[in-house]
Amino acid sequence: MYDLGILLQIVFWGLYAGCIYILLATGLNLIFGVMKIVNFAHGEFLMIGAYVTATIFFLTGLNPYVIILLSMLALIGIGAVVERLCFRPILGTSKLNEIFLSIGLIYVFQNGAAMIWGDEWQSVKSPYAGITLPFGALTVPLDYIIIMGFTAVILCGLYLFLKNTKTGREMRATSQNRKGAMLVGINVERMDILSFGIGCALAAAAGTLWVVSGQVFNPYMGSIPAVKAFAIIILGGLGSIPGAIIGGLLYGIAENGAAYFLGGVWKDAISFIILIIVLVIRPTGLFGESGE
Amino acid sequence: MKYSVLFIVILLIAAFFAGCTQQEQAPAQATEIKIGVIASLTGPASNVGKNMWQSAQVAADEINANGGVLVKGSKVPIKLIVGDDESTQQGGQKAATQLITSDNVDLLVGGYSSAVTSSYEQTVAEYKVPFVVTGASSPIITHRTDIDTSYIFHHCPTTDSYGMYTTTFIDQVVRAAVNEKTGAAADRPFRLALLYQDTGFGKGVQTAVIDTITKNKLNIVLVSQQGYKMGESDFRTPLTAIKAAKPDAVYIAAFPNEGAPAITQARRDIGLDTIFLSVENNDNPQFYKDLGQYGEGSIIESRFSPYTAPAGALADAQSKFKNSYTAKYGVPPDMMGASTYEGVYIAAKAVENAGTTDKATVRQALIDLKMPQLIEAMSGGTISFSKDFCESQFDLWMEQLKYNSTIGECRPDIVWPDNLKTTDFVLPDWYQPGSP
Repeated sequence: MYDLGILLQIVFWGLYAGCIYILLATGLNLIFGVMKIVNFAHGEFLMIGAYVTATIFFLTGLNPYVIILLSMLALIGIGAVVERLCFRPILGTSKLNEIFLSIGLIYVFQNGAAMIWGDEWQSVKSPYAGITLPFGALTVPLDYIIIMGFTAVILCGLYLFLKNTKTGREMRATSQNRKGAMLVGINVERMDILSFGIGCALAAAAGTLWVVSGQVFNPYMGSIPAVKAFAIIILGGLGSIPGAIIGGLLYGIAENGAAYFLGGVWKDAISFIILIIVLVIRPTGLFGESGE
Repeated sequence: MKYSVLFIVILLIAAFFAGCTQQEQAPAQATEIKIGVIASLTGPASNVGKNMWQSAQVAADEINANGGVLVKGSKVPIKLIVGDDESTQQGGQKAATQLITSDNVDLLVGGYSSAVTSSYEQTVAEYKVPFVVTGASSPIITHRTDIDTSYIFHHCPTTDSYGMYTTTFIDQVVRAAVNEKTGAAADRPFRLALLYQDTGFGKGVQTAVIDTITKNKLNIVLVSQQGYKMGESDFRTPLTAIKAAKPDAVYIAAFPNEGAPAITQARRDIGLDTIFLSVENNDNPQFYKDLGQYGEGSIIESRFSPYTAPAGALADAQSKFKNSYTAKYGVPPDMMGASTYEGVYIAAKAVENAGTTDKATVRQALIDLKMPQLIEAMSGGTISFSKDFCESQFDLWMEQLKYNSTIGECRPDIVWPDNLKTTDFVLPDWYQPGSP
């Protein structure tokens, strides 16, 4: 009844969308895991990352896939400053403070970006636009292979960092038991800055891959992906990075599948329908632990 | 006790000022004509909104340079006041309320996005402020029956009209070209796909296409109809579905920030090498910039282009407006800017004809209005509003885009109708027709 080639293509677009969601949700989960705070402004870091990449691209003409590293470095810095100035002072106080602070940051970042770059839609052209590769039954654009490759490399890098480096182990210890980590001499405030910075860097990577794939961007682009990132981390389990990966892939494929079978307007609705179903069956999320 | 007395005093003062505001509504002789311009200065539609606001200012500057509007023998200047609808319904409501109740405007001009404009029409109707809508294209603006639309005048082609013009063009020109290229019989059904924004705007285009095909018994088959939510930027899945239906052409009912990525993704990523037809609000410099070479061969239905004009007096008038706008703002104006520029002139003419800023009289002047076309082609060369739904009638044209490698962008040529065209429509070499 349905052409296999078409279905494979829909899955492929879903994997591409999933890559963006994975990076965004993983960053959010990293921040939540270590600091136990929810940052509603996370989507704005995706937006800032996109603009940093676009600005460097327009000024230098460098390959955007090279610029992604610069963008991630820039967002580590920006994230560290935001953590130190905004979230550190309210850490440990009411959850409402975190919510209002991050909502305030949304307006600051969106309007700041509009003042600096204007709020017209913009686009960036990939140097590999137009190159396609045969992939079994599909013919896929090279950009998407690169995007998926980049996502895999970033995630592997993050895994190796958390697993095999002293700082990564300290970060995991802080996320597991903050007081215990302090007792064994880990500088938890340094872990906060680092996790926030890396979380923002992952958002920047998501933003860069978004723009280089041919989607337009503007200062308000981060709102909807941020909401979906939250849905993904709840679905996958708060603080669980494997959960964020599975959740991101699931969302990407489900959205594109819904758009194909039910119509484009179901694209956002399906995300939340899945979330509701999973939470009813398993309230802690797919990989979550009880008590989060 | 002290605080309750203070509270009552504050309430009384507020009521006093509110009363003063009420009394200002019917001046004997206006010292200025206040026109509120509702435009999206922020939010996703800000690209168009700024064009609208800036075009209104060009019109007001021109009118005021001649002293203003002639009202009962004396010239009265126009004062424009902008209301930012923030591209949202809540923002539109706020802007309209502020302009009407706080700024006490005599007329309103503007309004972009039918969904946003519809949300504050009730406020406009309640306060009976004449409103020349210049940027929202759904016919629902003046066709709705749940509120009194008698003060609302629609100076913007509706989805009914441009859906009809585009479908007619497809039938008369594109179908013939495809049949000639493929050697197909003249009665081969033309395979049309639709990618539409799932809002009043997009669904209005969809309805207009279906109605035009049905009423005129056109030999066009809709092989795929894919809706998407407003603001979408990833069209790969609906485009994959469209490609699977093997269309001869794809009509995209989208805003420029959606249409440009849709066509780019279709040509570059999906390999959908077909003719794309876009709606007039895409005839905008940013659209050409975002499209790059992927716009080659595509069609825009239009009435005002930043880069072309039909021959004759209109070309000179458009050129003058474009030069004034570009000199002031550094970028060319777009279509919604053009109709908003005219909207200010329409408002001014209505006040002149009414001889007063009294809203009911101005409204009647708008109903009776007959003024020569300004910079856009109007049916019969005249701007007037239909008796049934207060809609003005535009003459529309089709442009085909050709890539200019020196500029790095496409540029349009008018290919239809015959009395306005500057060149013929051609199917690009890379064009792939559809098949059953």
